[in-house]
Amino acid sequence: MPKRQIDPRGPRFAAGITTVVLAVVLITSWWPLLAAQGVVFAIGAFAGLRFSPYGLLYRLAVQPRLGPPSEREDEAPPRFAQGVGFAFAVVGVIGYATGLTTLGIVATAAALFAAFLNVAFNFCLGCEAYLLLQRFTPTRKRAEA
Amino acid sequence: MTGVWVVLGVLALGLLAGVLLQAREGRIRGGSDRPADELPVPVAEALQPGVTLVQISTTFCAPCRHARVRLSALADRHDDLHHVELDVTHQPEVAHALGVMRTPTTFAYAASGAELLRVSGVPDADALLDALQPHVNRA
Repeated sequence: MPKRQIDPRGPRFAAGITTVVLAVVLITSWWPLLAAQGVVFAIGAFAGLRFSPYGLLYRLAVQPRLGPPSEREDEAPPRFAQGVGFAFAVVGVIGYATGLTTLGIVATAAALFAAFLNVAFNFCLGCEAYLLLQRFTPTRKRAEA
Repeated sequence: MTGVWVVLGVLALGLLAGVLLQAREGRIRGGSDRPADELPVPVAEALQPGVTLVQISTTFCAPCRHARVRLSALADRHDDLHHVELDVTHQPEVAHALGVMRTPTTFAYAASGAELLRVSGVPDADALLDALQPHVNRA
């Protein structure tokens, strides 16, 4: 089965929105917004980047203005990165909602750090983690690679 | 107010990390003294006369694609420079033997198997050519 290829500018655009959202969460401590961001992460990770609200926004409103990309990127690493974001968002929501505010702040700050690195420097922390995992997984477990 | 400080702190850390990461991209490091006969078999078999650029890549690696395009174009322009890409996704022992931590990492080997230098990330063609003097004739 061929691996899905995506426009690499899409995840970067999504990271930009994510950065703003997470900064607002940290400044206002309004954790329902974090929960909403968590849902966005979940859709991207489990359904696919093209179904994520930010991904849709990118394809409908931004990509037509930019024109086609010069190259495409495999979808798997950025999707894994969305999964990592989802995990942090879950921890963050639990932290804020149960009064463990420090936990909420730390989890959100970590996610913000990764999103900011992505949008500002095109460096995807989650993608790098995915590649490292691939490299250290015994070959027989990676049946589809 | 804590939230504002946290945001500022994270952004500052992020800026620092980003700048450091960018500085390391395409960084050329000197060769190693490892004996040529200790090279992994796939690498030893790839060596050609002149200088061979052995690019270690994996799947799911967009920078590897960039590096491949750049390096093969560079090799096309120089008779004594060759480019070979090795996908080590299923041969992690090769990456381990060479001490490769991230891909792409490109090694420049003389025909004898001596390691002249290594570059991690997407290499800058001019900087690479400069570093390979006097082993490669400038076109």
